[in-house]
Amino acid sequence: MFGKKRVAIVGAGLTLFRRRLKETGKELSYEASKMALDAAGMELRDMQSVVLGTAPDAFDGVHMKGEYLADGAGAYRKPYTRVFVGGGTGVFTPLAGWWHVASGQFDSCLVVAEEKMSSCYPHPQYAFTTIFDPILERPLGMNLIWIFALEMHRYMHKHGIKKEDIARVSVKNKGNALDHPCAQLGAKITVEDVLNSEVMAWPVQRLDVSPTSDGGAALVLVSEDVAKEITDDPVWIDGAGWCIDSTLWTNRDLYYPDYVECAARMAYKMAGIKNPPKEIDLAEPYDPFDYKELHHMEGLLLCKKGEAPKLTAEGVTQRDGDLPINPSGGLLGVGNPIAAAGLMKVCEIFWQLRGEAGKRQIPGDPRTGLAQAWGDLMQYGSVIVLRR
Amino acid sequence: MSLDKITNPLHIRHWLGDMEADYIYTLGIAGEHFFKEIKENGRIMGAKCPRCNVVIVPPRMYCEKCFAKLEEWVDVGTKGTIHTFTVATIDVDGKKLKEPVIFALVKFERGCGGLIHKIGETKTKEVKIGMNVEAVFKPSFERKASINDIKYFKPTE
Repeated sequence: MFGKKRVAIVGAGLTLFRRRLKETGKELSYEASKMALDAAGMELRDMQSVVLGTAPDAFDGVHMKGEYLADGAGAYRKPYTRVFVGGGTGVFTPLAGWWHVASGQFDSCLVVAEEKMSSCYPHPQYAFTTIFDPILERPLGMNLIWIFALEMHRYMHKHGIKKEDIARVSVKNKGNALDHPCAQLGAKITVEDVLNSEVMAWPVQRLDVSPTSDGGAALVLVSEDVAKEITDDPVWIDGAGWCIDSTLWTNRDLYYPDYVECAARMAYKMAGIKNPPKEIDLAEPYDPFDYKELHHMEGLLLCKKGEAPKLTAEGVTQRDGDLPINPSGGLLGVGNPIAAAGLMKVCEIFWQLRGEAGKRQIPGDPRTGLAQAWGDLMQYGSVIVLRR
Repeated sequence: MSLDKITNPLHIRHWLGDMEADYIYTLGIAGEHFFKEIKENGRIMGAKCPRCNVVIVPPRMYCEKCFAKLEEWVDVGTKGTIHTFTVATIDVDGKKLKEPVIFALVKFERGCGGLIHKIGETKTKEVKIGMNVEAVFKPSFERKASINDIKYFKPTE
């Protein structure tokens, strides 16, 4: 019932993530796309459709960013769609690619995600100030960090979580990123470093937050028939879920992301997963802030509500733990070029399941992995389940 | 190619551009009621959904859950509780603010939802989740039908 065709990922590509890259957004899209095609042993002419994901037009500074980037993403004279669901875009883009192929309309789809945040001058934070309701919220002088501080504080208050419980996520992810060749902020830091970093909006401190970045990522998706012809090692998209909550974020409790649970349940149902912590071998939940990794582990039903900090303290979420979380280094370590960061997580699951993650490879024989992204005004969840 | 070592982007070969555009936003059907009451009567209104039996704050023209059209406006009072808060210490440029600013999500007993606003007449160390607060309005002659017609919320005890 979930689509006519099973869909496989057969190639992945990822550029460096950096605060500022010389390449234009088109060039970043090209580099990631070319890498993914090369990895799959395919040519652009083999791609029957293209899906591009990229976040607000205001970052690149072009008010038709999808069309502007199209040629770099290989879309010249092809069926082409740009998708955009805020921070959820990076994981939603391969979901859109999935239905292109699962529907039977196409046998292949090039999935590309791009973000060039450094074009926004002097700082991409300015683009974020116009995401709020223009009448109710913008006159108060809102900025992005403050609203996440409100959510983080509510989460801490509800479960009695301390800052040091959350800081461990930043320590782990920045440490993991030391092994990622594309990473922007891999570092060996301590819980004390996080607690002593500059306070931005209590309880958010500098080292709780991922950096802004430029970067690109891409995947090659094909139908089961094509996959069997070209590779012995396909990775299947077995679960797809997405959900949006109220734009009036004041109408939610904020301590728990219901919309992520809704998206996860949709993906688990499709993948036939009944017991997520047992059946999922590794996960890449969205971690633009350290508390979000914990928040999302709970929303993804990988643990009970309020239990994620305890699992983190016990080492369960380390690469050699029972449930490795963000073995890539996540957004906190690899960097956060919004749409590309989400797709980077799907690339990581792809490489981990194929045993191609190099120094980051988790032990054992991972068969099932999950990536999730989150966005808009703390309201959007996108979830993908991959299997080998 | 990483340009991370160049801290001032004006030092790289570049082109400066902008996407200048200004906007005039209408308040909308529900917003008109909400801001008119704030300006003229110093009242905070919600909209009642007869089907879901809840009062939605701030009011909307429709219920997003059941899609009923909302036409009953309800005064939810000016008192609420702090659901969560933050103490902002830097601005959007990363510069230190002269004074820290407390922003809170204030929920109302008689309505579902709430308002984001500043908290005033208190110290940053004294603010707590669960604290009772009430809206402090600007004098009526200064009100412009804006969310800033409410100066801030202050603790009631």
